[in-house]
Amino acid sequence: MKKEISFTLNGSEVTVTIDEHLCLIDILRGPLGQTGTNEGCREGECGACTVIVDGQAVNSCLYPAFEVEGKNVITIEGLQEPNNKLSVFQQAFVDHGAIQCGFCTPGMIMSAKALLDTNQNPTEDEIRDALLGNLCRCTGYVQIVEAVKQAAVQLKNKK
Amino acid sequence: MTNFHYIGKEASRPDGPDKAAGKAVYIQDLQRPGMLYGKIKFSDFPHARIKHIDTSKAERLTGVRAVITATNTPEIRLGFLRDNFALKKDKVRQYRDEIAAVAAIDPEIAEEAIELIKVEYEPLPGLFSPHEAMKEGAPLVHETDPQGRPRANNQVPLQFHHESGDLEAGKRLAKHVVEGTFTTPMVQQCCMGTAGCIAEFDMNSNLTVWAKTQIPFLAQRDFNRALSDMGLAGKNARVIVPTLGGGFGSGLDTHCYEYIAILLAFRTGYPVKIVYTRAEEFANLSPRQSSTTKIIQGCDQNGKLTFRHVEVLQDNGAYTSWGATYPSVMMMPATSLYRISNVYFNAQLVYTNNTYCQAMRGYGNPEFTWALESNMDELAEETGIDPFDFRMLNSNKPNETTPMGLKISTCGLKECLETVAQKLNWKKRYKKGKHRGKGLASLIHVGGGARIYRSDASGLILKLDDFGNVNVYHGGVEMGQGLHSVLTMAVAEALGVSSERVLINPTDTGTCPWDVGTHASRGAFMACNAAILAANKLRDKIFGLAEVFYPQEVEKNLKKLKKKNPNYKPPDFDVIKAARRENFELQDGFIFIKDGPQESWLRLELARLLRAIHFRNQGQMFTTEVFYDPPNELPDFKKGFGNISATYAFGTQGAEVEVDTETGEVKILKMVAAHDVGKVLNPQALKGQMYGAIAQGIGYAFYEELLSKQGKILNPNFRDYKIPRVYEMNFPIELEFIESNDKFGPFGAKGVAEPGLVPTAPAIANAIYDAIGVRIHDLPITPDKVLAALKKLKQTKD
Amino acid sequence: MKRFNYYKPRSLDEAWELKEKIPDALFIAGGTDILVGIKNGELYPPALISLRSIPELNSIKINGGAHIGALTTISDLIHHPALYNIYPVLVEAAKRLGSVQIRNVATIGGNLCNCSPCADMALPLLVLDAKVRLQTAKKNREIPIDEFFKGPGETNLTPNEILTGIVLESPRKSAKAIFLKKGRVRMDLAIASLAALMEMEGEKCQKARLAAGSVAPVPLRLFKVEAQLEGTTITDKLVAEAQQLAAESVAPITDIRATKEYRRQIVSVLVKRALKNILGWSQA
Repeated sequence: MKKEISFTLNGSEVTVTIDEHLCLIDILRGPLGQTGTNEGCREGECGACTVIVDGQAVNSCLYPAFEVEGKNVITIEGLQEPNNKLSVFQQAFVDHGAIQCGFCTPGMIMSAKALLDTNQNPTEDEIRDALLGNLCRCTGYVQIVEAVKQAAVQLKNKK
Repeated sequence: MTNFHYIGKEASRPDGPDKAAGKAVYIQDLQRPGMLYGKIKFSDFPHARIKHIDTSKAERLTGVRAVITATNTPEIRLGFLRDNFALKKDKVRQYRDEIAAVAAIDPEIAEEAIELIKVEYEPLPGLFSPHEAMKEGAPLVHETDPQGRPRANNQVPLQFHHESGDLEAGKRLAKHVVEGTFTTPMVQQCCMGTAGCIAEFDMNSNLTVWAKTQIPFLAQRDFNRALSDMGLAGKNARVIVPTLGGGFGSGLDTHCYEYIAILLAFRTGYPVKIVYTRAEEFANLSPRQSSTTKIIQGCDQNGKLTFRHVEVLQDNGAYTSWGATYPSVMMMPATSLYRISNVYFNAQLVYTNNTYCQAMRGYGNPEFTWALESNMDELAEETGIDPFDFRMLNSNKPNETTPMGLKISTCGLKECLETVAQKLNWKKRYKKGKHRGKGLASLIHVGGGARIYRSDASGLILKLDDFGNVNVYHGGVEMGQGLHSVLTMAVAEALGVSSERVLINPTDTGTCPWDVGTHASRGAFMACNAAILAANKLRDKIFGLAEVFYPQEVEKNLKKLKKKNPNYKPPDFDVIKAARRENFELQDGFIFIKDGPQESWLRLELARLLRAIHFRNQGQMFTTEVFYDPPNELPDFKKGFGNISATYAFGTQGAEVEVDTETGEVKILKMVAAHDVGKVLNPQALKGQMYGAIAQGIGYAFYEELLSKQGKILNPNFRDYKIPRVYEMNFPIELEFIESNDKFGPFGAKGVAEPGLVPTAPAIANAIYDAIGVRIHDLPITPDKVLAALKKLKQTKD
Repeated sequence: MKRFNYYKPRSLDEAWELKEKIPDALFIAGGTDILVGIKNGELYPPALISLRSIPELNSIKINGGAHIGALTTISDLIHHPALYNIYPVLVEAAKRLGSVQIRNVATIGGNLCNCSPCADMALPLLVLDAKVRLQTAKKNREIPIDEFFKGPGETNLTPNEILTGIVLESPRKSAKAIFLKKGRVRMDLAIASLAALMEMEGEKCQKARLAAGSVAPVPLRLFKVEAQLEGTTITDKLVAEAQQLAAESVAPITDIRATKEYRRQIVSVLVKRALKNILGWSQA
């Protein structure tokens, strides 16, 4: 059965008609054409599908579509700034060599953003805890952690 | 020492921003008009005759456009031994055998259709280990060979053999001998982006395949052969590589699902996409081969190695892919890591009903070095020599030829060993009872390509346009390792333009020149060497024509300047006389006279020059191509001889560990890695490759294992196949890069993609031995193995 | 068949009505277990009845003791301003469950109802002597949590019964507790886990509660070990005996994650480490 749901995606109100058994990732990658969020396992293990719903990082592969009604969703596409500029989070990843194949990158950045949005001074342990749900096979995580630290510093300086 | 503009400097990768923005288009994201979705029915048994396949219900499901099996499609064989089939007809030989496939208008309908396909089997006894398969009277996995001749046994008809020196003499000279048997498990590449492709025919029956591949040109060859099998001889396959969500060797062969997509695309007349789910990726894609290695080494009373005897047994699985050729790479450290004469190496592969395996990073080297470097420590102890001193004594040296005929040019192994020892504070060892220990291990790997095929070449085209952009066409594949990054830098550096003007085009067999494939750490070595040659050719051409066009353009500059500034007095300089090809320089996209006056009007924008040469009668544009073939040889693997690579990478890694003797858990306190990389091209990318490789080495050492029972993969998911997360990489890693500046390497660089994970596991095992006196011979080193070994040790002591 | 209908009742009554109408439907909370089960073909319900929009299920009331609504997310447990001070062992266990992404949607009720032998939230609740409130349209009951678990993946919920909340007593000031979890790696289902709580009066143990995970068909209270420790002065010898008793009390199995011998060994070690930690003794 298809039903209509409405929610806020990256600051804009969207409405989609969707099958009940689908998850948020299916809405994003399907009718909304936001393919930045990637599917890596469909089991909540790899975190490639991480998006932010009402300020919290979640695995969109396990977020039932109908639960997103009325909620505020942010995906990697929502981070981009006007005039083709990257956000602080994204630029930090680029600057620190934290990206190789890039498949885990959007999810990883969203987890980092979810952390830094609520904790401006994360310890390294807090960063690792925030990223624990995101798998990366290419980078070994070292430069990713450095990138998040750098983003934290830059965000503080901005303020 | 040259002052490079780009080489050796920190530079973020050109594909980084798009990936950070979620704009990169992976195979998962790619859409084609009218595209259908394919799904495959895999076998329910590891070994069985197929009696009947009933696809009738699937065919009738709304939304299904085609259902294919081996009975309604032409036979397509694949694999370099031609022993595999795209769709299985009479028999299934492993759980992941492809029996049928469906194309439907959406993936869910395709999946439902698959569930409606009913297969009748006659189960056959299965063979799940090489030992079982080698027994007298064991059932045959393949009754006949590809030519239809009956097979006598389950032995794979591949020979890997090496004998050099005088083994008996070597044994007689040995004062100390240690032997051991070491095993490694099946391990999965675990790319974050799963395997997949889109196959599409045009109305001329030419095929395009967007493929998650590392071998676009060999895939083209394989797909053309398939087209021929389909009655389309003479038609062409074009292979395009989208952004890859990882590779690690998984894309080094063509896969059944690709041929199935092609068959479905032809049957339906529409593009067909097949993408594996994570469960299918784990269970139905080819992982890293497992291995059993028996090694015997001896040394004299001073610790000089006198002989090395190696026997390798590998489980080939049901069909043959590149995992079967791991011994060709194992032969390299077997004959050439440390100075050794008197070497015996032999490898056997046996068909079983387990999953067949293919390439994964290191390709046999991590497997063998696990055995060799563990055995080296055991031999050192037996001889009463410190493991570091033992290795230094036997270390390879520059400019030597090894028993396999490997011509070592530069060799930084001694420096690597010393660096690691110094960083680990090797002289200061932990007291017994602290449960802390230090260990190290080294590696040799190909660093200048690897001739495992008739050609190890790599072509490159540079096309300059009117705007000073350099369009690069190269057949190598970017899979995250940073090939495009270093290629951009190499072109910019060698040509003399800004790196922002270098644009790398997608890898496409229709536009790029041939390249054998991105494997064997050859990507940067090939691409950058080709880039340097092509850039030099281009500079030559440009400077030649600049003799005429430079003077006339700078003259215009001068006129303009004088108009603006009538008081300007130009220096006394004869531009026309100086405008000789040998006097020109091109840097940052500006052409000027070397050692000429510094005046701004004498710096001519390259783009201006190019437009002047283009937009006139008999105009010209600049495109140049190069086909770089490195100075290496295709070895004879039956004799075990041949200089497979143009140069060799060396390295050493050290580990400091702490063992919890109550739980068997091993904590890494510190990892140190010193690698002879020839020359650091892009520090950020190189570090990334090393950290990533070490992470894979950690996983290999501690918990990665594809568990298989009666041919079935028991852990086809991330819940039970564990790879390191950010928490597991929470220890200091010190990297040091030794620049041996190899004459064959581009800017002196050697290949670096694989070495990082070769010595990690044995370094850790050696550290564990140092900490608690137990040696684990079988990867992964799980806590319960450590506890069992400690228990055994206690019992021996008591 | 992976299709299902998805309902979002706004009240418990509505939820029960739906379940009456569709007996094979499953109640769903965060969904992190159920959705994976459906994807893998282990579960095939015709419908899911989400309890996420029922407000009374999603609150924490502190009143001497505590009442935790079943739909409280693991994250909300961690970030609650008061809960950590009152029941630190509950929050410590919550922090070790999954990842941030999982914790933001997984619920304490869901974790209990999934009824895995290694349910992270079960162990602290067992040592805190928690009760669970189970409700149908017609009946309410409260049972001690150790009577809630029946077998692997099987609770003692009757058909249509919903676990609505967890009831905790006001803790004694003298109570000290710890949660320990061992996995193959950090983010893992427990290979073996332990929660331990002791109320000490001077050198004497007044009350002991131990619960082990992943070593029996259900999260297991180690009653024999508790009896051995209560009312005595704890010594090294007693700790060793407690370890032995714990190893004998559990019934682990060998599966793809660990062998039963290893699990038994780990439980024994965790008992020692937990007791020493609570007593403030050195771990050496």
